[in-house]
Formats: sequence, structure tokens, C-alpha cells
Amino acid sequence: MSPSLSRKARWTLWLLSLGLLCGAAATRLDLHRIVDTDVLAMLPPEHAAPAIAAATQQTRDAFVNEVLMLVSGDDVPATRAAAQAAADAAAAAGLKADDSSQSLDHLLAAYQKHRYALLDEAAAARLRAGGAKTLATDVAVSLGSPAGMVHAFGSDPGGYLAAYLSALPRPYPDFVPDGAFFSALKDGKRWYLVRSEVPAAAFAEGSHQAAHAVQAAGAAAARACPACRFAATGAPLFADAAQKAAQSESLWLSLASTLLIMLLIAHVFRSFAPHMLAGAQLVASVLAATAAVILLFGSIQVITLVFGTTLLGIAIDYAFLYFSEYWFGEAAPERVMAAVRPGLYMGLATGIVAFAFLLLAGFPALAQFAVFSVAGLAEAGLMVVLIFPVSLTQPPQVPVHAAVLWPQRFIQAAARPSRWRLLLPLAALLLCIPGWFLLHTSDDVRGLQNLPTDMLKTDADIRSTLGQVPPPGFFLAESDGLQAALRQEETLFSHIRDDAPQLASLGLSRFLPSDARQRESLAAWQQVFSDPAALRRAFTQFGLPAALADRDLAEWQAADHALLTDAELFAAAPQFKTFRVFDGDKTALLSTVAGSKDIASATLAGYAATVPGVSFVDPLARIAATFERIRIRATWLVIGGYLLISALLVWRYGRREALRMLYPPLLALGLTLGVLGWLGEPVNLFVVVALILILGLGRDYAVFLREGGAARRSPALAVSLSALTMLFSFGLLAMSSIPALHVFGIATLVGILASYLSAPLSLPPTGEKA
Amino acid sequence: MKLRLWLLTAVVTGGASAATPALPPASFAASFVQTRELPGFSTPLVSHGNMSYDHAKGFHWEITQPYHYVFEMNGTRAHEELPDGTRRDLDPDQTPWLAAVEHIFISALSGDRHELESYFSVESKPAGSGDQLTLSPKAGAIANAIKRIEVTESAPGRPQHLEIFEVSGGHMDIRFSPVSP
Repeated sequence: MSPSLSRKARWTLWLLSLGLLCGAAATRLDLHRIVDTDVLAMLPPEHAAPAIAAATQQTRDAFVNEVLMLVSGDDVPATRAAAQAAADAAAAAGLKADDSSQSLDHLLAAYQKHRYALLDEAAAARLRAGGAKTLATDVAVSLGSPAGMVHAFGSDPGGYLAAYLSALPRPYPDFVPDGAFFSALKDGKRWYLVRSEVPAAAFAEGSHQAAHAVQAAGAAAARACPACRFAATGAPLFADAAQKAAQSESLWLSLASTLLIMLLIAHVFRSFAPHMLAGAQLVASVLAATAAVILLFGSIQVITLVFGTTLLGIAIDYAFLYFSEYWFGEAAPERVMAAVRPGLYMGLATGIVAFAFLLLAGFPALAQFAVFSVAGLAEAGLMVVLIFPVSLTQPPQVPVHAAVLWPQRFIQAAARPSRWRLLLPLAALLLCIPGWFLLHTSDDVRGLQNLPTDMLKTDADIRSTLGQVPPPGFFLAESDGLQAALRQEETLFSHIRDDAPQLASLGLSRFLPSDARQRESLAAWQQVFSDPAALRRAFTQFGLPAALADRDLAEWQAADHALLTDAELFAAAPQFKTFRVFDGDKTALLSTVAGSKDIASATLAGYAATVPGVSFVDPLARIAATFERIRIRATWLVIGGYLLISALLVWRYGRREALRMLYPPLLALGLTLGVLGWLGEPVNLFVVVALILILGLGRDYAVFLREGGAARRSPALAVSLSALTMLFSFGLLAMSSIPALHVFGIATLVGILASYLSAPLSLPPTGEKA
Repeated sequence: MKLRLWLLTAVVTGGASAATPALPPASFAASFVQTRELPGFSTPLVSHGNMSYDHAKGFHWEITQPYHYVFEMNGTRAHEELPDGTRRDLDPDQTPWLAAVEHIFISALSGDRHELESYFSVESKPAGSGDQLTLSPKAGAIANAIKRIEVTESAPGRPQHLEIFEVSGGHMDIRFSPVSP
């Protein structure tokens, strides 16, 4: 940058560039969707089928908003009163009560109207085969069986409608509808299930509201029945607990690291200016990076924001390089920029090249990382180049003190010719080699969370009491129209029923038989009633009055033989619409199966494979697969980026020196992986980001030292300050109870320490000519 | 739904007060006459049969006239013999209502009224040497089918007479005559 530029011109240029970038981003900004939290959107577009995305969203909504409360006790009226009190308190606190019982009467009316169309496949086949005699048998049974269902639903000869209704899926196998609740008698106690859901659109707000409502419901239940037991579970409660834990932890970790960094900077520079300039540089970098991503992608992934901001920690290296030279270097204030320029530009160039390589990934998420990091680093560099020289113009009045001298002493000592320069890294590397073989990868997002043990136990207890184990995913039957999709689903359920009758299937076809099946049902009834004389004979054969046969015939003739349509069903029970997913011109049906135990995804995928057009979707596995692909792709691109950087270093420093400069960061990488292996920590996307950070820092340290040399004070100080602040910022995360942050913290702690301690190895031994 | 089993439940729990449940009968056997009045039919349907309960053998319900029908249930197994001679096994786990019936029935024989009270409001008053129970369905699907059920017993745990009044206007009357098991 031309030194002749005036202060005003520099500020104008900097503000204008940042303003233009932000202004351009603002034109593309969707205020309702600035930050995108949908992890699946990180998938390449060709894999993110709209039907799967919509179905995943629907199942996610149903799951993440649901809150289940169980009230149990010995005294039935008191327990019921406690359940009612809990439901009232939860509703008063803003939870939406489950209103599915409201649609029950409408649903029964719709089924009653179309009762002749509702025979299942087996019943229709039986009626077709036996004709009038079968009907007479079933009427006799329904009149005589202790488990008969005579007239429970009005006119229902033979109890066929009642059988259909009884076979409908139940949300909780061991519980029966009981007024506003579901109830069961288990272990000598009466249990009432209160279902509700979070109405708030915002998940974070909703989870807080749910936790508050459950607390109020528990207190109300205890007041109504002190001897009763109250328990609750649901995704919003877990989210609230995780949020609170993360907030309290991040608060003390942030406070501790900020305090330590401020103390360090204050101790070294004895001035407030570095705080201001470094803070402004970080804010400007994140702003520019976010604007660049929004400009190119329309919105920013939350994961890009988190990881990208972390990676921008590298940018503080440039500030420290400048500060060290300005406060304690040999150059006069107006010559500081010239002194640090080679190291700064080389660090910037290698950093930008490394991150730009991620643009080739083909994954939106990695492309966003790349844009974010490149724009952020460029902005950080621009600020150092434009603003720092006109902000730090007076000679500093801080004398050189011990804290400034020890980094240089360390670097100089480590640069002296000694066999330890070879032996120590070699020994560390040898110790780490077994750790490499102990490494394992994990991309399961569940492993990233730290869910409270007591809540997990309560959840397991409640699910066990309800007899409901959530399935690992859902089926999607895709076809050109609803009828074809219903037939696909019926075929799928038929296969599952034959293979695993203990599994309960849930899908639209269980409530709305396909037109083909309804026609079969009507045809079977038509056959039964086609010969009235035979019908009378069959009835009288069992001692039943012939008039009963005549009445059944008259009812058949008077009945509506139209098919039950989706419009009628959805009008009666709007909640069934969630089974249907619109997929452009196609229709997709969402369905699940559940059992009393966990069902392997592979088993369910196997069932799906037997029916063309049906697929099984495991959302967690999809997310894990996404993370795995990003992790692998990122790893290869980082390797590729490093090869490119190597070429840059060879061009600048020659082959021998370039190899020497690449050695410390690669050594740090090897040591980090070894330690992770020994500790049994998994390698996941968080670790890969940590490794990118480590490589970036190690590369910067090598460049700064190589450009500055061991004899100068400022590069050693800049590198030491960078390492210490990074350790305070990220190394402290090793103490986190959240597994994702913990492993990231360990990786950065080990990696940065190794990068710093090995940084002098990037310099030739003192006396050797570079 | 499951009307008669609930009735039987009511019968055998009739003598047990909620506070001090009586011990379940180890076994019970009776012949019965079931009279069913259907709306729109002047002549009631009358059937005869016998029933028994035994801890080891389970529950047996058999209609002998005017057709032959058998229903048996023991633990998790249930079995039917239909009037046309067909025999079939029922799996209570796969037939939710049957599982519920079984649960209710066994609970009832244990002198536990809780199961009934989840579906019915139960009123009890002394009648001779036993009790008379009136079961009124709570809100829900059962209330769409049944108005009330009345059970009279000859002695605690010994059903004598049971009546169901259906919403449709139908009426069912079962009279039991204990026999040696």
C-alpha cells in the first residue's frame, strides 16, 4: 500500500470497501432467514430431494415440539385430578394442548358413512370366499362373543367396522384414549398421559417456554395430588437444558479467556490501543466475511458462522505481528509496515490460498467456509495495512521488559544447533504413532451433545411406560398420485406385517385405504348381499332371525357406496395431512413403524427396498453422512491446499527452506492426532476444523519467524502472543462438558502448543546460512 | 366395545369395595342365559351357554344354543371356535382391544376396580347378600355405545344378573346360575 496515502484516504478506502460489501450483501438479505440453521441444506443440491427435505422437516416439527407429561398414582380420582391440573397449568403457561380427541367424533362419522369400503385385505377375501355364511357367522360371533362389539358404532353387522377401528394405529400401544388424556393401568398404578406441544415458531424460545410450562404443570400436579408422581420429557426440554448448560459454560469460558487475553495484552503492551485495534479488526473481519457469504449465497449457515469465526482467530496473528514490531521492534512507527510487510503478505497469501482451495469442495458448507475465511482474512489484512499505520503513529513509551524478552530467548535457544532439535520431535512423534492407530472417526451428531443423565433416564422410563420407542427414521412412498402412493404404502406395510407382526405401522393408508382396496371391499359386500335368499338361509342356520338378514340387506342398499376420499378424511382429521408431502408434480407419503424395542435402520431400509418407489430415510444418519462427507472432503482439500502453499513457499524461499517451514505445522498435526488417539477422542468435523486452524497458525508462525529471523524481537513476540491468546481462547474449551467443544479444545490445545514449541524448527540452526 | 367382558368384570368385582378389595375367586363357573333386544326387533335373541374362570385354565365362554361358539383366553393366548366350525387363534398383542379386555378381566378378578374406574363411574350399593353396581361410562368412545350397566350379585364375587343399556336403544340381559367348576 502506498505510504503516501493520507489518513483520510485510508479511512475512506477502508470504510468504503467494507460499506460497499455490506451494502451489496444487504440487497440480497432476507431478514427472515439471515442465518440458516438447516444442517441438511449443506448437502449438495442433487442429493437434497425436496420430498425428503419436506418430510424431514415435518417429522422434525412433530418431534421437536412435542412435550409428554405422565402423572401416576394409586388413587384414581386424585391422579386424574392431578393430570387435569397439570394439563391446565401447561396450557396456561402457553403450551398447546393436544386436540386430536376433538377430531375423533368427526373421524368416526366419516368411517361410519363409508363402513362398507373399509374391509381390510384379509376380511374382504374371507367375505368373498364365504359369502353369506361368513357374514352370518360373524354376526353370530359378534352377538355371542364376550369380546363382541355389538352396536358400538351403530349399525355394524358382524362388527367389521369396529374391527377396523380397533385395528387403527394407536400412538401409545399400552395406553387407551380416556377423555382428554390417554390412560393405562400398569404396575398397580393408574397412569395419565398429558400431551402438548410448543406453539412458538422459534425453537429456542419454545424450549424455554416448554421448560417453564412443565415446571408449572409439575407444581400443579403436586398440589392436586401430593402422593402422585409427575414426569415429563420431550425434545424442547432437552433443548432447554442443553441451552442453559451451554450458556453458563460459554459464559465462564468466554469471561476467563477474555480476561486472560486482556491481562496478557495489557501486561505486554501496557496500552489500551491493542485492545481497541484487535477488537475492531475482529469485528470488521466477521462483518466482511458474513457479508461476502450473504452476497454469494443469500444466507449464511449457522455452522459457517461458528466455524468461520473460529478460523478467523488466525487473523489476530497479523495484528500481533504489527503490534510487536511497533512496540518493541527496531523500526520507527512509520517504518513498521515496511518491516512486517513480507511476513504479513506471505501469511495472508498462504492463508487465503489454503482456504480458497475449499471452494472446490462442491459442498455448499465448505464453499461458505472458504468464502467466509478468505473474505475475513482479506479484511483483517486490509485493516492492518490501511488503518494500523495511521492509528499507531507516535513512538511508544513502553520500555522493553522481561515478558517481551523471553519469547526471543526461547526462539534463539531453540534455533541453536543441537541434536535435540532432531531428537525431541522424533521422540514425540514416535510416542504418537501408536495413537494414530487408535484413532477413530465419529460423525454422529448425538455424540456431540451432553444430555443430562437424569433427563435421559426419565425419557427412557416414560417411553418404556408408553410402550413407544421412536423409530430411527421414516418411509417415503413417492409416486405420481396419491392412489399409487397409497398402494405402495399398503404393499410395504403388508411385507412388514408378514415379516415382523410385532411392529406397528403408521401411515395414511392405515386411515385411508387405497381406492383399489376400497373397491375390493365394496365388491365383497356386494357379493354377500347379491342373493338375499341365501343370506336369510345362512342366518337362520345359526338360529338368527331372518329379519336380521333383511335389516342388514336394507342397510346395505340404503348406504352410501362412495369411496372414502382424502378430502373427507382430512376434513375430519386435519392432523392426517402431515402424512402427505407434496413433491412438485408428485405425491409422497410419509410413514413409520414402531416397536417396543429399537429397530435397526438397516432392517427398515430392507423393507423399503422391497417396494419400488419407497425409500427409508434416517435423518440422523443423513446428517452424519453429510458431516462425514464434509469431513473427508475438507481433509483432502486441506491437503491439496497445502501442496499449493508448498509451491508458494518453494517459490519464495527455495525447496530446502520451504520443507523446513512446512515441517513444524505438519509435526503439530501428527502430534495432535496422536494425542487424540491416545485419549480415545473421536475425529469429527470439529477436529478437522481444529486441524485447519492448527495448520494455519503453524504456517503463520513459520512465515513470521522466517521473515523476521531469530535475531529480531518482534516476530518471536508476535508468535508467542498469538499462541498464548489462541490457547486461552480455544484451549480452554478442553474443559467444556459439551463433547463437541471438549474435543475441539483438546485438539487446539495440543496443536497450538505443538505448533508454538516446534515453530523454531522452521528456522535454520543459528549459523547455518538460509 | 368389549361389552360383555366388562360386564363380567363388573360382576366379579361387585362384592369388592374399593377400599378393601376381596380376594379373587380361585375359580368360578356358571351357566347363563343371554337375552338381547335389538332396536327394531320385537322378538329378542336368546342364547344359552356356560362360562368359567380358573386361575390355571383361564377364562372360558361357550354358547351352546342356538349355535355353538367358544371363546377361551389364558394369559397372552386367546382362541375362538366359530359357528361355522372355523377355529382361530387371536393374539392379544396384535389385537389391542383383546389385550385390554384381558387386562381388565384379570385385574377385575384380582378385586381391582381401578381398571373399571378408568372407563366408568362406579356406584355400589348393598343388595341382599351381595352388592348392586351401576357403571356409567365416562366421556369417550364407550359413552357412544353404552348408557349404563347394572350388575347384581348373589354373594360377594358371585354374579347373578347383569344388564346393559345401549345408546342405540338395545338392551342385553344375562342371568347366571352358578355351577360346580
